[in-house]
Amino acid sequence: MDDADGGPAGAQASGWTGIAERGSLAGIRFTAFCYRVLGRSLTLPLVYAIVTYFFLTDAPGRRASIAYLRRVAARTKQGELAGRRPGLRESYRHYRTFALAIVDRLAIWLGDGRGITYEKHGTEFFDRVDEENRGALILGAHLGSFDAMRSLAAQTNIIVNVVMFTDNAPRINRIFRELAPEMEQRMIAVDPSSVQSVFAIRERLRRGEHVAILADRIEAGDRDRKTAVTLLGGRVELPQAPVLLAGILGCPVYVVVALRRSAARYAVFVEPLVERVDLPRNDREAGVRAVVSRYAECLERYCLLAPYQWFNFFDYWGDAEPARRRST
Amino acid sequence: MASRDEIFGWVVDVLREEFDFTSEALAMDTHLIDDLDLDSIDAIDMTVRLEELSDISFSDSDLKSMRTIRDVVDLIDGRR
Repeated sequence: MDDADGGPAGAQASGWTGIAERGSLAGIRFTAFCYRVLGRSLTLPLVYAIVTYFFLTDAPGRRASIAYLRRVAARTKQGELAGRRPGLRESYRHYRTFALAIVDRLAIWLGDGRGITYEKHGTEFFDRVDEENRGALILGAHLGSFDAMRSLAAQTNIIVNVVMFTDNAPRINRIFRELAPEMEQRMIAVDPSSVQSVFAIRERLRRGEHVAILADRIEAGDRDRKTAVTLLGGRVELPQAPVLLAGILGCPVYVVVALRRSAARYAVFVEPLVERVDLPRNDREAGVRAVVSRYAECLERYCLLAPYQWFNFFDYWGDAEPARRRST
Repeated sequence: MASRDEIFGWVVDVLREEFDFTSEALAMDTHLIDDLDLDSIDAIDMTVRLEELSDISFSDSDLKSMRTIRDVVDLIDGRR
């Protein structure tokens, strides 16, 4: 991983956010235990308390949150951030929104997500590829809830396999078996040191199943496969591997984002990004860059739509303010 | 029906065309990962190209056995 270039080097999140995102085993077990014993209504204040602790102690995460919110505010003409200069208050709301996402995620994992309702936008695109028995590669992001997308797919009999980057696959899989056995069957754990997982992805796509990948961070196995694009006015590097894979396998690429609208309500947006990735033999880089740029445009649109649901609490653009003074 | 030498030629051609290796770098015992530093995307790319050339579809388990160029040649040769 290389964050010196300012790109979204994989899983750089620190503190609580890093724990929750990367799925520390003890953290997952503890919060799942609380949810089971205390229920949602008592788990939420507990998660708020934990998030507040990390908001107070995780200065790099806080600065990254404020820097991101300021990027959004600078590009927002409507909505609550328009004309404002976000500071600690907005950052704290950003952290609390992450807490809500964690609790919703637990609900889905633990089979308590039946009460969640979904607004569907563009889900008919799945019908088309399903009729043709074609698997699509779905690009997601640490934006909204990947699990809500997966949960809706399960409710509508759309088979979505989720690629998870981890060098700790066996232990993580054991946790999923404990918490949500049906979910484990739909996970593809990617070990950066192995080439096998990519063939597992191909097998699922060949069966007409869909494969979802979080494509907004450079992961350890991406090596030098990254493309520089503009996102919210700044340069970031995004992984090429998902797009290259779609091009090699000839499958369509969709972007799917599930945004929390209110308690127990998510809006799921499905956008076809490209029907087929064109990878010219003499200039593959250009073919990949065109698709990655469109993906970044989608991310920007959804960041502006739901600013507090971007869950990359690290210096994504490499320009978060140092701790020179207290933010306002 | 392609001979083993022809199959070896396909593999060498794919590796030269797709990944810019020189012929001198490619021998039967060349290890795909240790010597050529292929990663998972390279491996799937090579596999798809070889499937097109040989008209053979590789399964997940086939691919697990491919470590050297000789393994690839053996696999295709054994399926003809």
